[in-house]
Amino acid sequence: MATVKINGKEITVEDGTLILDAARQAGFEIPTFCYQARLSRLGSCRMCIIEIGGQKKLQPSCVTPVMHGMEVFTENETVKSARASMLEFLLANHPLDCPTCDKGGECELQDFVFKSGPRRSPFSESKRRFHDKDKILSPVIIKNHNRCIHCERCVRICDEVVGRTALGSIGRGAKIMETSFMDSTLDCDHCGNCIEVCPVGSWMSLPYRYKARTWDLKEIDTVCPYCATGCQFTIGARNNEIVRVKSKITTGINKETLCARGRFGYNFIQSEKRLKKPLLKKNGKLVESSWDEAISFIKQRFGAGKKTAGIASARHTNEELFVFQKLIRDVFKTNNIDLDSRFANKWVTSSAIEVLNLAAGGISIFDALKAEVIFVIGSAISNENPITDYLIRQTAVDRRKTLILAHPRRFKLNSSANISLRYKPGTEGEVIKGITDFIEKGVFHGNVVGDISQVGEKFKNAKNITMFLGADILRLDNGTNVVAEIVALKGLLKKAGKNIIIQPLFDRCNQRGARAMGIHPLFLPGLKKVKENGMDCGEILDAAKKGEIDSLYILGEDIVSMYPDAKFAKDALSNIKFKVVQDTFLTETAKTADVVIPGASYAEKDGTFTNQEGRVQRLRKVISPVGNSKDDLDILCSIGGFAYKSAKEVFDDIKKEVLGYKDINFDALDGNGALVKGHGAENQGSRVKGQGASEIASASPRNDTSSNPYLDEYPFLLITGNHLFHSGRLSQNDDVLIKLLAEPFVEISEEDAKELGLTDKENVKVKSSEYEAVLKLRVVKGSQKGVAFMPENFDSVSVNQFYKKGQGIARVKIEKQV
Amino acid sequence: MTDFLKKILFIDLIKGLSLTLKYNLSKSFTIRYPDEEKWLPYQRFRGLHTLNKDAQGRELCVACELCAKACPTKCITVVPMEDNNGIGIADRIAKIYEINLVRCMFCGFCEDACPTTAIRMGREYELACFSLDCAKADKQRLLAPQEIPVEFEGGYVIKARLERTKEGIRVRPDLTKKKRWW
Ligand code: SF4
Ligand code: SF4
Ligand code: SF4
Ligand code: SF4
Ligand code: SF4
Ligand code: FES
Repeated sequence: MATVKINGKEITVEDGTLILDAARQAGFEIPTFCYQARLSRLGSCRMCIIEIGGQKKLQPSCVTPVMHGMEVFTENETVKSARASMLEFLLANHPLDCPTCDKGGECELQDFVFKSGPRRSPFSESKRRFHDKDKILSPVIIKNHNRCIHCERCVRICDEVVGRTALGSIGRGAKIMETSFMDSTLDCDHCGNCIEVCPVGSWMSLPYRYKARTWDLKEIDTVCPYCATGCQFTIGARNNEIVRVKSKITTGINKETLCARGRFGYNFIQSEKRLKKPLLKKNGKLVESSWDEAISFIKQRFGAGKKTAGIASARHTNEELFVFQKLIRDVFKTNNIDLDSRFANKWVTSSAIEVLNLAAGGISIFDALKAEVIFVIGSAISNENPITDYLIRQTAVDRRKTLILAHPRRFKLNSSANISLRYKPGTEGEVIKGITDFIEKGVFHGNVVGDISQVGEKFKNAKNITMFLGADILRLDNGTNVVAEIVALKGLLKKAGKNIIIQPLFDRCNQRGARAMGIHPLFLPGLKKVKENGMDCGEILDAAKKGEIDSLYILGEDIVSMYPDAKFAKDALSNIKFKVVQDTFLTETAKTADVVIPGASYAEKDGTFTNQEGRVQRLRKVISPVGNSKDDLDILCSIGGFAYKSAKEVFDDIKKEVLGYKDINFDALDGNGALVKGHGAENQGSRVKGQGASEIASASPRNDTSSNPYLDEYPFLLITGNHLFHSGRLSQNDDVLIKLLAEPFVEISEEDAKELGLTDKENVKVKSSEYEAVLKLRVVKGSQKGVAFMPENFDSVSVNQFYKKGQGIARVKIEKQV
Repeated sequence: MTDFLKKILFIDLIKGLSLTLKYNLSKSFTIRYPDEEKWLPYQRFRGLHTLNKDAQGRELCVACELCAKACPTKCITVVPMEDNNGIGIADRIAKIYEINLVRCMFCGFCEDACPTTAIRMGREYELACFSLDCAKADKQRLLAPQEIPVEFEGGYVIKARLERTKEGIRVRPDLTKKKRWW
């Protein structure tokens, strides 16, 4: 501990604390430009200079640690005049076009000059000017080099946090320019984090350009609707129109960062294509109708009992899902309820729920990342959960830590990983088993590319291990095997006295919450076991195919586009007499429905999401639902006849049934959210009796991929997932995200490309037994051989058409397009 | 006694009448508004706003919204947009510029706040009309030159003519005939 005197005020801080932090703790504000808490220290802008008693020269407080007995002055005349001079120098080359600058009103330079700057300038030389017109670098980024003050925050965040190194400083002296190579954005993730950290209006958002001034905006903190990392951000709306999304350095686990989806994916809300009125099928055609007509029609036609079912999407709030399961269970009297959840069967999902210990309460990702060994399997995390990727990257720079990534594809985080494993999709269980076997017996089998023994050693030597399980596992027919292997490994490590944390990586914002709300054929809210098992998604469709389902309520899920076998899904749905689809867009599934009701987007409603950590966060209404659409909660309540007036009232009921949520105060949920708690009793209830993960694994049907007859003809295993710029089928309706990536592609390893004589970016024919399409090829060095990847985000080539039900992972061949 | 004399000689009456007579013969102060004459205000007058252009005819307004921010009655709405056609002096111009004249109190704060002297208080003051539509001054109306040119020094009464049209009543000045009003 060191005691220092700052402006006469004594304060005791940890050794090694920066003077800047100590001063801020003591309540003194020091202006900074190049300092940013999560970035490496640069100490170049000299804005934060302070005087240290006994030292002649002023020192930058952002790189100087305190020393015991030090006396610091941050507000005396010397410091003040030095500060003013620093600003004067910055302004010497600054265009000061505040009236036309989008940063005006929230610009750090503007604020500091206003507060501490000189009120005059003796410089009469003409100012440095790189260009007259701002440079559009990408569909989301626009740059004005003239305004740059060279703090290099953009360069550092891109390199250290995003992991892209797209930016650098070019030139020397006053002519230095922070930009990407040749102003191109080839390496860019379009996350806009450079825009966020830029203290001035040098990096700017193109979609927000010249839309408003900061003071026009009605800004509300809410949660990202895409992946389950659950970033918090602030939505700004002007005249009931959303004009920007901004992250805040003080809120959420993401703090100032976001990914492209979160930051720029708000345009679908005001899309022309949004459903604005209820539609009823009359004479085979969907026609607009009134709300009363639609609701009473549903009430009349939707039967009750075993022949009814409900499928929900994990993009809905806890409150909506809770009411939805109430509607399905209490009003329609059936347990046939499931989440899309990549359509794994109920045994896979329930065993995953168990091994992930979802009932045991949430674990903060920051606690999870304290472990010495971080192991990620089953998720192309850089694309699926970009901010989790950032957090892991920043942790992994610590040399005492080991980051192990296991996935068939090579992706961005691999460059920060200590060990990378490659395997064929579907053999995740073998990878885990290999590790277990190595630890136990020192030998292992299996077809894994990479050094399992090294992984085993790391596991052996670590005291704390965190495993991240990706959503890929939830897609496998043999997912229970994987889960069983994880249980075995966990048991082994536990026995050796290690602390194990297993965290899920989900691709939908409220996947974890949805399960806790009882959207599962085996679980009631609070993961309590149902008396009579319901049908999961696949079973519902099977039954439908046989004509055993009369009515189906689909809440926000596009089954026709996502179910792995498009033809089957369509056939099955067409056999159902009465289908209700509640969604924001007229999806392929909605087109087959008898009633389509327009719901609200995330910015148009209140509620909570529970992210993958188990953190409950508040979603807040920014604008009213577009057109004649309605808050989903209102819709569900009027169909079910429930008396809830607001999301908060539902949340109070949730607290009664889901004990983990008991202590959470809906109104007090802030930038940190609240982690759900584990409850002993509830925990017990979650066990599917006699069906622990391992029992399920042995009982459930195995899918042996090795004996697949298609192997020779179709040599590639086709896996799918979200692209970095997209999420499900929602984001294709966003006219900004679609500009970032407009069409699907197929990605294979460099080895395969060489063998087939194919080159990057050429058009290739992708063919499975079911479907064929011509796509652009992307070649990635270092991915697993024999694996092809396609993003699942586009209607134009819907990847599920390649799949055939019962075949497991689809197999394709890739040929030159002639 | 004197009072009596004053009474019979109508002194007070004569005094009063003489004043009347004097004014009757002196120059008239009455402005025959709106039928024949009209007051032409000084240049510093604060009448209906004008939006202005520079010498090359480019719009001066850069849609910075500072006028709207400064306005005490919050009656200005500015929505910016990108300008790729050189309409304005920068690449930013107003997509919407609208003043709600019913709320405006003609304080001129907007004029003070403007960094480009785009918005200036003009000299039009006959703002009454038959429908509320005219209470909104949009960009087009504000950009159109006002009847009284900026260079024209004010502080006069000028000849004018009352005109009744479908849109309303206008008092058209004849800028060639001016006179001091006192
Ligand atoms: S960066 Fe800041 S100081 Fe510079 S022009 Fe923009 S608002 Fe003004
Ligand atoms: S562009 Fe912005 S963040 Fe980057 S160096 Fe310049 S001022 Fe700093
Ligand atoms: S990482 Fe996930 S939650 Fe965060 S901004 Fe991106 S999509 Fe949204
Ligand atoms: S004159 Fe005053 S009240 Fe009228 S628009 Fe300007 S600032 Fe507002
Ligand atoms: S009139 Fe002047 S103050 Fe108002 S928006 Fe235009 S430039 Fe800005
Ligand atoms: S903030 Fe300390 S030198 Fe830049």
